[in-house]
Amino acid sequence: MNPQSFLQLDRVIHEKGRLAIMSMLAASPELSFTELRGALEMTDGNLTTHIRTLQEAGYVSVTKSFQNRRPLTTCALTPAGRKAFNNYINLLEEIIRQNKR
Amino acid sequence: MEPAVAADHLQTIRTLMERSALYRRALAPITTYAGTLGLAAAALGYALSLSRPALFVGYWFAAAALGLTGALLMVRRQAWQQAEPFWSPPTRRVAQAMLPALTAGFALGVTTIAWTELRSEAAAEWQPWVVLTCLPLAWVILYGCAIHAAGFYTTRGMRLFGFILILGGCAGLLASIPTKTRPLTPNGWIIMGFFFGVLHLAYGVYLYFTESKRTES
Repeated sequence: MNPQSFLQLDRVIHEKGRLAIMSMLAASPELSFTELRGALEMTDGNLTTHIRTLQEAGYVSVTKSFQNRRPLTTCALTPAGRKAFNNYINLLEEIIRQNKR
Repeated sequence: MEPAVAADHLQTIRTLMERSALYRRALAPITTYAGTLGLAAAALGYALSLSRPALFVGYWFAAAALGLTGALLMVRRQAWQQAEPFWSPPTRRVAQAMLPALTAGFALGVTTIAWTELRSEAAAEWQPWVVLTCLPLAWVILYGCAIHAAGFYTTRGMRLFGFILILGGCAGLLASIPTKTRPLTPNGWIIMGFFFGVLHLAYGVYLYFTESKRTES
């Protein structure tokens, strides 16, 4: 197996919690904070920390608004985030392919 | 990274992506509500003996509108309680998937009324069978198609439920073909009560148990 493939894996996405967030967001145009929290069974603090890391990397955009006078936080993948996620998937597939050869 | 770990990662990603796109809102309450409404509407209609085609069709259009309004209010309430957007992408996808078949059902009802209003001899002879047997069964089939299409964005059981409705409607159509020994037997109220009432109630109860189990696990 080419060790380069593993070294190229994006460290920001590779963490379990952040990978789960990226995967959820990749399949949906946007998701609310509560939807993510419910689906991934994360604590508020944990989810906030991961989202902030992804936001700082430029992979996730966070929008704060109000719905029925209640605060609503929604997250979505940025174009850079989608590209990074696709690259990550391609690398995983590459690792599997290399082993099959 | 080991290839097995990479494969495991990909599988997790796939599962999460599927889960993200799924509609999970208030399925059990909506199905139970639809079943109760369907059963009550069928019983009331039967008791009132509304046999005029326009009345029968109009009555069920009103019941469907009531069902749709109630379902949307339930979805909105749950979204509000959980501080989530009402018209979320999964909700939008489910609505888009159901719309073609439901529109066809509506058009079929309107066409049937128009046909019965012609008052021709042929229409008069076949009218009870067409309006009170074929039309309800066609509605069941089209509604089954709508549920089946929505099932691609909800839990897998929805697709099976859609198929049961489609097959039940088709079987009903075949069984109701009038022959020499079997006369025209219009039984629209029973058909509507069974498919839109009893079956929905049964599926709603099933969802209540399975959804709570899933939540517990």
